[in-house]
Amino acid sequence: MNKFLRTLLPADIAKGLSVTGKHFRQVFFTANRRKVPFHIVSEYPEVPAKVQPRFRGRLTMLKDEQGVIKCVCCLACEKICPTQVITIEKGKQEGRKMPYPVRYDFEMERCIFCEFCVESCGFDAIILNHQFELAAYNREDFSLGTEGLGQNMFEPSHVGKFSVADD
Amino acid sequence: MFKNEEMEINLGPQHPSTHGVLRVKLRLDGETVTHCRPMIGYLHRGVEKICENQSFFQGQVWTDRMDYCSAVANNLGWAEANEKLLGITVPRRAQYIRTLLNEFNRIASHLIWLGTHAMDIGALTVFLYAFREREDVLDINEAFCGSRLTTTAFRIGGLREDLPPGFEKMVRKFLAKFSDCLEEYEALLTENRIWKKRTIGVARLSAEDAIALGVTGPMLRAAGVAYDIRKAFPYAAYEEMDFEVPTRTEADTYARYQVRMAEMRQSARIIQQCMDGMPEGPVMAKLPKILRSEVNEVYHATESPKGEIGYYLVGEKGSLNPYRFHVRAPGFINLQSLPKMAEGGLIADVVAAIGSLDIVLGEIDR
Ligand code: SF4
Ligand code: SF4
Repeated sequence: MNKFLRTLLPADIAKGLSVTGKHFRQVFFTANRRKVPFHIVSEYPEVPAKVQPRFRGRLTMLKDEQGVIKCVCCLACEKICPTQVITIEKGKQEGRKMPYPVRYDFEMERCIFCEFCVESCGFDAIILNHQFELAAYNREDFSLGTEGLGQNMFEPSHVGKFSVADD
Repeated sequence: MFKNEEMEINLGPQHPSTHGVLRVKLRLDGETVTHCRPMIGYLHRGVEKICENQSFFQGQVWTDRMDYCSAVANNLGWAEANEKLLGITVPRRAQYIRTLLNEFNRIASHLIWLGTHAMDIGALTVFLYAFREREDVLDINEAFCGSRLTTTAFRIGGLREDLPPGFEKMVRKFLAKFSDCLEEYEALLTENRIWKKRTIGVARLSAEDAIALGVTGPMLRAAGVAYDIRKAFPYAAYEEMDFEVPTRTEADTYARYQVRMAEMRQSARIIQQCMDGMPEGPVMAKLPKILRSEVNEVYHATESPKGEIGYYLVGEKGSLNPYRFHVRAPGFINLQSLPKMAEGGLIADVVAAIGSLDIVLGEIDR
């Protein structure tokens, strides 16, 4: 009999529902729905997502104040990369004592964003930037280098712009 | 007209409740499972072999990708196994930070488990709440090492960088609200009659069977064996931490749920202690330029959220990369208990059994 009565009084279900009710109240009544302090979900493509300062994004080469590539071809990054996606060809440039990378190829499709290359570089010549929208339609779009048509290691990549603002 | 015979079916490999690409071959008599064999190997990438061909430093990135839900715990095991092999002592501050992140990882992994396991059984709401908190943990990961899932958090000899500014605030904010959140999950599940019906007495695994099969982690503790490597063979800074090892004796799915919920509370306690007692000092030991192994072989086991994860490394004295590398993956060994739990039960309970195992196929197949 007691058991039957307990079946009629669903206290456990009510307890669970109260959790849902609490959150419903917070979002629906108390929160200013414009400012959405209680919302966990962000409106991502419209509102750009924020990343932490240490975020590991795409590999980017840096230039110094004179606009010269900082890399001196010590090949440390090429050696440490666990997936061997960096290929460097050493060369000479007029009026520069240090070696100069004639070719610096980076195959992004196989990069695992571990930051070992940046860590190994003693010349601060490369960083991982904060870019994470890295999808592209063609495989060639992932092969980056020091040269290339609008697509190189110095600028943020133009692939993967899916925001509504673009079209 | 009706023939009475057994039917053989495949559960998976593309079944959403098998948590990845696990295929379970079942023979059914009506709805009763008479024979159950898990089939694995769909996600084999040869992690062990790859690590043998890379230097000690590079190997860590592969351990991230084994059990991607608890990458930090894998990193910790790898780093400590290597430190043993290379004869390096880690500074105390680094040990504390490692412990801190490891416990955060345990919370994140158990939250994933809670969400997906409850969803398998039919309680969808918890999933959304659990992932809300997991998001905060992943943000903490990202603030510390720059990546959310594949963390590569530690380095052999310590850490790459110290804690970032603002880290303590993030942690304290998380701790302040986390116990309320746990109560929320428990309000949704612990007393819920559907949840209880679906879990109590389901997929039993006795302590004798668990020990005979080598099962570790929450699975073993739910059977009443208080074996936790953090207590039994302390590593990192666990010796200085005050925490309990929660156990239950029922050995069913509900007991495993209770153990994991209690473990999350203990993890929060450890994080609190790490934060309060964080020592000052360097975070990286002095390392030789080239890492060469000092001893011939090591086995180092740590307590990952799933159980005992052990790294076995063989390196000849002076070698640059491991000669042989083997991972004792907790998921792989815990999965062997699935036939014991599922045979004789109903087919719907196989899903509950797989869920309560908390497996990640990336780690099982490696
Ligand atoms: S981030 Fe890692 S995988 Fe990518 S290029 Fe650098 S070292 Fe290689
Ligand atoms: S480590 Fe730095 S300086 Fe050396 S080759 Fe790589 S980018 Fe250039």
